[in-house]
Amino acid sequence: MHEDAPVLNATKRERIGSRYARRDREAGRLPAIVYGHKVEPVAVSLDAHATLLLLHKGEKVFQLHLEGGSESEFVLVKDLQYDYLGTNIVHCDLERVDLDERIHIKVPVHFIGESNCKGLKSAGTTLMHPMSELDLECAVTNLPDFLEVDITNLEVGGTIHAKDVQLPKETMRLLSDPDGVVAHIVAHGGSDADGDEAGSVDGQAAPEVLSEKKGDADGDD
Amino acid sequence: MPPYKIPKRVKFRREFRRVRDRNATKGNYVAFGDYGLQALEGCWLKSNCIEAGRIAIQRVLKREGKIFIRVFPDKPVSKKPLETRMGKGKADIDYWAARVKPGTMLYELAGVSEARAKEAFMRVAMKMPVRCRFVHRRVSA
Repeated sequence: MHEDAPVLNATKRERIGSRYARRDREAGRLPAIVYGHKVEPVAVSLDAHATLLLLHKGEKVFQLHLEGGSESEFVLVKDLQYDYLGTNIVHCDLERVDLDERIHIKVPVHFIGESNCKGLKSAGTTLMHPMSELDLECAVTNLPDFLEVDITNLEVGGTIHAKDVQLPKETMRLLSDPDGVVAHIVAHGGSDADGDEAGSVDGQAAPEVLSEKKGDADGDD
Repeated sequence: MPPYKIPKRVKFRREFRRVRDRNATKGNYVAFGDYGLQALEGCWLKSNCIEAGRIAIQRVLKREGKIFIRVFPDKPVSKKPLETRMGKGKADIDYWAARVKPGTMLYELAGVSEARAKEAFMRVAMKMPVRCRFVHRRVSA
């Protein structure tokens, strides 16, 4: 399947550090690092436009061809770093993989049947999903794009745990906490919904000062 | 002082002003809800401002959805009275503020449609002293 994985052309970065990485970005390159398989990590830079197009398409496994290298190697996108606003990708972690290898990957969870969900039909209920991704161990050739979780029959107060999620293939193994909550419908009829006025907030005149000696409540003047 | 949220106990009564010229490196993504309101500039966000934002959301959403307030006013800001000579020690606390850096997530919403969340956050953004934008929860690569 991944023999036809998209090809990324990379050039080795001679100088590393934030200053040179910024210059690379300004020149239309994306700084990245390639590691894994007990080989020394290599700092590389990729063509930013081409890489981002592939990443936004959802590609995870690439054939990396290093400039000056003899052959390409398969790499998995292990991590992406974003800027402070979370908009632009500023760095990419690539892990060397073999096509017959089993890897650890985070897979997003998609909910289906939200519009027909029994628990969400009553007023004042909210679907909470503390774990929006699950850690899986699977083969490189069988990477799922997402996991589907049906919440049609979920009642108010009902919970779907990670162990209840149906994995697409039997060879996949769940690594996340099996008792972790994936979906939970909570009813919050009055706790934070009322309190339209400012007076409802539990405030106080002044906080207790821990470092202050007794009888010196007016301050240090 | 009006009953806005302030800390229950602090280690020291007053605090230095400190520099605030950095971008947010934490608290800058949607962590709990589905949608968020992100600050694009830095400021000291007053406690009454945070409360005004919360009220604005609830006036729009009524009892729908769940609000997450991602900032807390834990910084005491002092101010000298008018026509006072300099010196004579640090002044009394005027207000409590949350340190907001560019990128800080201010509020999050869960359990509402995108259109409703946008409508609510638009009202809140008008009450904020900084430019804000509407963001979605990010799904990892």
